[in-house]
Amino acid sequence: MSTWADLVTASLIGTERAGVPRPGLPGLPSLEGASADPAALLLDRAALLATARRAGRRPDHAEPLEAAAPDPRPAVSQAAAGRLARMLGGEHQDLLVEWLTAVMARGQRVPARLLPPLLDWVRPHGPRRLVAEVAGTRARWLAWLNPAWQFVLVETVGDDAWRVGTTADRREYLAALRARDPGAARDMVTRGWAMAGGGERAMFLDVLENSVGPEDEPLLEAALDDGSEEVRGRAGYLLARLPGSALGRRMAERAAGRLRLEGEPPGLRLAVFPPAKADAGMRRDGIPPGPTGGRAGPADQARLMLELVARTPLGTWTRELGLTAARIVALPAGPWTPVLFIGWSRAAAGQGDAEWTAALINRALTSLPVPADTSRYSPAELQPLWRLVRRAEPALGAPGALATPGPDTPLAVRDAIGVLRFRYDMLKELDDDHSAS
Amino acid sequence: MTERWDRTRVLALAPDAPSQRTAQQLASGRAWPLTGAAGAAGAAGGAGAAGAAEAGAVWGECRGSAAAPYRTVVDLSGPAYRCSCPSRKFPCKHVLALLLLWADGTVRDDPGGPPDWAGTWLAARAARASPAQPGETAEPKDPRAAARRAEQRETRVAAGLAELDRWLCDQARQGLAASQKHGYAHWDDIAARMVDAQAPGLAERLRALAAVPHSGAGWDGRLLEEYALLRLLVVAGRRQAELPAPLRATVRSRIGFSLRQADVLADGPPVRDRWQVLARRDLEQERILVRRTWLRGAGTGRNALLLAYAPAGGVIGDSLPVGAEAGADLVFYPGAVPLRALVKTRHEISRGGPPAGAPIAGLLAGYATALAADPWLESWPAVLHVTPARRPALAVSDAAGDAVPLHPGAGDCWPLFALSGGHPVTVAGEWTPRGLWPLTAWDEGGTAVPL
Repeated sequence: MSTWADLVTASLIGTERAGVPRPGLPGLPSLEGASADPAALLLDRAALLATARRAGRRPDHAEPLEAAAPDPRPAVSQAAAGRLARMLGGEHQDLLVEWLTAVMARGQRVPARLLPPLLDWVRPHGPRRLVAEVAGTRARWLAWLNPAWQFVLVETVGDDAWRVGTTADRREYLAALRARDPGAARDMVTRGWAMAGGGERAMFLDVLENSVGPEDEPLLEAALDDGSEEVRGRAGYLLARLPGSALGRRMAERAAGRLRLEGEPPGLRLAVFPPAKADAGMRRDGIPPGPTGGRAGPADQARLMLELVARTPLGTWTRELGLTAARIVALPAGPWTPVLFIGWSRAAAGQGDAEWTAALINRALTSLPVPADTSRYSPAELQPLWRLVRRAEPALGAPGALATPGPDTPLAVRDAIGVLRFRYDMLKELDDDHSAS
Repeated sequence: MTERWDRTRVLALAPDAPSQRTAQQLASGRAWPLTGAAGAAGAAGGAGAAGAAEAGAVWGECRGSAAAPYRTVVDLSGPAYRCSCPSRKFPCKHVLALLLLWADGTVRDDPGGPPDWAGTWLAARAARASPAQPGETAEPKDPRAAARRAEQRETRVAAGLAELDRWLCDQARQGLAASQKHGYAHWDDIAARMVDAQAPGLAERLRALAAVPHSGAGWDGRLLEEYALLRLLVVAGRRQAELPAPLRATVRSRIGFSLRQADVLADGPPVRDRWQVLARRDLEQERILVRRTWLRGAGTGRNALLLAYAPAGGVIGDSLPVGAEAGADLVFYPGAVPLRALVKTRHEISRGGPPAGAPIAGLLAGYATALAADPWLESWPAVLHVTPARRPALAVSDAAGDAVPLHPGAGDCWPLFALSGGHPVTVAGEWTPRGLWPLTAWDEGGTAVPL
């Protein structure tokens, strides 16, 4: 409407220098003579025309979008959707992968409204393939509209990624292959081993971590003699997790007789006989000699004992001492109590031992073994607990599955238990009947 | 005694999304060597904090980057907060994190009451207290003095209108070209003079103008519209005696004369209906949080707007949930287009389904009719059955092929696109001269999703 543009131009110049255009719209009064001041006349005509323009607005036209393909999977329940929103907002973000994997396994999908924050979260953080699959056709439709989410459209990483890609590309390729065909991925690693740098060899072992099996043992055993300390350490860690591995048997031999029962019930206690130093065999199995070269100071002995316990199959202790895990972890051991607690916790997290995990968490709940002279908990003592509650069977988070926290249970331990409860609830929500929603 | 809040209610206090994230990361026992609560589960508070403790208080020490821990205390009755950290955000992440811990049940009641640093602050708050509703005028004590004050105010407002008229004409005379170079003071000065003239409605409109010259292409036209509509309001205010009563009520309310809620409730006829809660929008104006809740009567088809206020950082409690259907008697404020209403009596609340969406032509026609009665009306409730589109600009389009743009301030609207997937959805929002501000959409299960 040229009249409006004329008025705007006149208003920019000002009525000191510009005349006031007459509204050229049939039916609108010209307001001539209503006010002697041209400035007032300009504003009055503008008010009339502005309101007429707002009221007389015609609809526009827009290019329609092609509709997204349907996704036959049901959306997760309302409660689960609410929890996802909270997690994307920052609550327990480290559990998102577990949640997404569980949704995937149940053949459900993420509700459409949460796709934008989920895609924004995964873009810098990681499990893009997992998200792309759980998010389904609607996410692909969104990615087609928003270039920032185009990673969803990449179907699979091609062979080129392995030959000429970056370490990140090679990692993604290997992880995808491992998920499809574990043996092929292992062969790929074996073939590529000699050509790869230390950082890459460590990455290979990382990829194997969550699916390590007996067939991987020769590769890992060979990696114990690798030139890179990082690679040796990881190989030792993975072998210690592998039930029945030769490394586990060697550790069990080294552990024999290092914990003994003393006294009579109810005064039963544990006596600890730590190794004097890390010999060549222990060093090969991933127990580092430490800054003092393994000489027998008290701190070094505690460290050696901890590393040994952390790698020893947990069944060794139940067999040697003839007691249940719950009894063993509750036995007093003087200054060794926190060392044993940390070592067992690391072993339980690695070996996925449900009985020991429950026993250790219960022990932390009733009283976390800490040295008497410290009033606070060092991160080193809490860290294994943090890992345990993330790896434990989610059923441990069910109401009544664990001991009730005592009045002295520290907040940090309550927090850790909160993680378990959160995991239990989030998985239960996914199993709840959601046909109602 | 205060009932425990849920996480959503705590997070609603956050000044922005980054605060929500950092608070959730900080809401872990590791960061909080000391926490306690009083009155949150009926425990006796310390003697000094008895008043506040009745309503409930939470306190804690948080390990931060500084050597000394930050000391955080919350009076749940306000809520009001105090934290020793240097953050300028309000509430800060420590307050939010502490409340999240409390919401999760990890903060235990301390029968010993709060430590001194928290107790003295809580006691001082309990000593003051008696919060007043913003915008609410007290019952006049002396009718003659009140009448005199009212008369003085009319005189002041009339003088203010004359001054604003001169200022507006000066702008038109000198030209708007220089507006982009003006600082905020250009509009804040005249706004302050309208506050002095007891015309807060005009002041608010003027303060908002400072953003217009920087609102992108077409700013000059928008600024002219605003000045023109202000001048129209000035003229209408000057001639209010000649106006029909509803229009006069509209003009006076836009100038800033407020009615007492009790009078509105007493004077207006209650309208009983099943009110669909269409949408909600929170805005912060001058350190006051304003919550707009849009309703539509399922039986009468009437639109209604509920306004609720809280100090910035405060909580607006007892809001109707979006998507619900609430049986209620509403009383409307008088006006040429009665929209603003008060809940007189609330009946049952049920889970509602999606409201019936109108075609775009119907929305535009309805807005035109409303504008004819109230030309200053800038937010009009819209319920449409539409498909979002991206070209040539972000828009929604209906089955007839008609489209309206989305408001540029509403952002990229990805959640709306995600919900639609290229299929029509029911959308509720505010229709404005710059486009539709989408606020709620209904998913395929008929559940309302705030956008």
